[in-house]
Amino acid sequence: MKNRYRLAAPVAAAVLLTGCAAGGSGGSSGKTIKVGTLYSVTGPAANVGDKMRKGTELAVDQLNQQGGIGGKKIEWKFYDPAGDTSTAVSQTRKLLTSDKVDVVVGGGSASGIALAMGQLTEPAKKVFVATEGARQIVQPEAKHPLTFKATFNDTVVVNKIVQYWQAKGIKRVALLPDTSGFGQSALEVAKTAVPAAGIKLDVASFDPGTSDFTPLLSRLAKNRPQAYLAWTTDSSGVTFLKNARSVIRDPSALIQHGFGFVDDRYMKQAGQASVGTVLSSPKLPVYDELPASDPQRATIARFVAAYQAKFHEQPNVYAGEAYDAMMVAAAGIKKAGTTDGPKLATAIETLGTYTGVTGVFRYGPQDHSGLGVDGVAMIKWTGTRFEVAR
Amino acid sequence: MSLLLQVVSAGLSVGAVYALVAVGFGVVANGTGAVNFVQGEFVMLGGIVAGAVDERWHPPLPVSVLAALLAGAVAGLLTAPAVTRFSRNRNPELITLATVGLAVALKAAVLLATDRGTYPLPHFFGERPLRVAGATVDTQTLWNLAVAVVVAVALSAFFRRTRRGTILRAAADDAEMATAFGVSFGSTARWVFVLAGALGALAGVGLAPLSVMSYDSGTLLGLKGFAAAMLGGLGNLYGALVGGLLLGLAETAVAGYGSAGYGDAVAFVILLLVLFTRPTGLFARRSVSRV
Repeated sequence: MKNRYRLAAPVAAAVLLTGCAAGGSGGSSGKTIKVGTLYSVTGPAANVGDKMRKGTELAVDQLNQQGGIGGKKIEWKFYDPAGDTSTAVSQTRKLLTSDKVDVVVGGGSASGIALAMGQLTEPAKKVFVATEGARQIVQPEAKHPLTFKATFNDTVVVNKIVQYWQAKGIKRVALLPDTSGFGQSALEVAKTAVPAAGIKLDVASFDPGTSDFTPLLSRLAKNRPQAYLAWTTDSSGVTFLKNARSVIRDPSALIQHGFGFVDDRYMKQAGQASVGTVLSSPKLPVYDELPASDPQRATIARFVAAYQAKFHEQPNVYAGEAYDAMMVAAAGIKKAGTTDGPKLATAIETLGTYTGVTGVFRYGPQDHSGLGVDGVAMIKWTGTRFEVAR
Repeated sequence: MSLLLQVVSAGLSVGAVYALVAVGFGVVANGTGAVNFVQGEFVMLGGIVAGAVDERWHPPLPVSVLAALLAGAVAGLLTAPAVTRFSRNRNPELITLATVGLAVALKAAVLLATDRGTYPLPHFFGERPLRVAGATVDTQTLWNLAVAVVVAVALSAFFRRTRRGTILRAAADDAEMATAFGVSFGSTARWVFVLAGALGALAGVGLAPLSVMSYDSGTLLGLKGFAAAMLGGLGNLYGALVGGLLLGLAETAVAGYGSAGYGDAVAFVILLLVLFTRPTGLFARRSVSRV
């Protein structure tokens, strides 16, 4: 008698639990849209991941306040891989198999993680909108039919910089990429794009963590380039700025950073040496200077106001990208009327023009990054803030 | 010509920091016989503490520097028992292994405490560099060089001429014998690790104005300092000074005339060459062991 009761309780509990779980998932799949997201809000990319999480959270909140997408509320599943790719892979599997998400937004805040996630979402026939930079996440498009991203390809940024140089009549430049994937990928692009524009290019790669750039800069200075462009996200970019101003004698030479160094903290740390540094960036840091005719101005202003109201801090470009990624997915789902992978991908490819915070997206079957040079701003550090570079 | 001068100036600048780190390795080797892989993290800690104090309270610069030295010394004081107490068997290999673990732990702790922030420090004598025959020489470089020389000379004298220094060297040579003569192993370890911690912090505050410091600034510096120490002969403090400067010069020569992408490789190629051909360093006399 006693024994039977002892068994009965757990069995009953188990039956109840499975019943609940089955009922839960069965009921929700039709009424909500499940979005799965990975950002590294801890670990080495924590400060990037934190802004990204807030950006996507803001988008989800706004969508749900408007009644969801096509009447269906968003159910948001969030995991933190802490910068670790293998953790991210198992979390992505969990999203796809046990959480059964309809779409994946956000790729763990690191290009390496996003690349790995794409390997899982493609065979699962789910659309994945990444918020990471590497162009290999979506290229070649034929191999990544269901993967998109809401960030600039470095190809686009390099082309914008080349246009800027041409407009200034610059004939000779020096490029200092770091030896990471970020720097070397840009170097690959620059090697063809810069000479093609009739500009002579000298290159000197450097290791992240370099504490003295003076020999490098002295060597490059021999050819008297009119612009020195560093391409890194590493803090040694601060040392580059300090050394550049002391070694380069030509006061008219431009000192430049790519799009991985748009951070006022870094600029302030270089002190006086950073004043006048020209950087390339999405328009967010200088949106209040944009002409009223700029299609992004109103979008960015609304985003900044909503972000400040919710989180009581300034958004940065990463928050903007994460916000856009969710909004692009939502616009696609609304258009397709379904979250079925191939149908949703076609809908995103045919969205036409979508004005986001990061830029104006024009996705197509051959362009899963969607952003062109018109979204890149050339900006200048004044010593206290960024302004549009002229 | 100006490129050559620039390479030399930058080489001495980086080399002075490597030399200070190498001297730190030498001090611990002289007191325990072990290789202290926390040394690079001491440098990082010193740079970050100075930068953080400067940013938070804006005190006069010497105050930030003293705070960093104090932090380094305290870190050394805590390191000593952490790496020597867990085993009764006090052999240098065990201590060396323990320092590897502690280095990882210290780095992780700073990562959490600083949230991956970066910290700069003002130049000690103003940002304006000196111009020598077309080359730029940072005033901070001259300071770092002077500190490295003074420290190597002073500590060398300490280990050779003072009673305490001799005791420390004896303890490293034969810990058991020294203990038999009434030298406490614990106090020996405390002495050398406190010295090493303060030295590391000194290197960190010297380096911070030239670059910016973050939680991961120390590891590579530690390995390069170790290469410099091996080049000069582990435990030979003058050797550490020369080894550090040579390493710095070699690195910047590669950056100036070749590709800076190979700059980091220089230290490790040198380390391997030294380990293969002259494991006792450039300046070691052939050791004679009497039986």
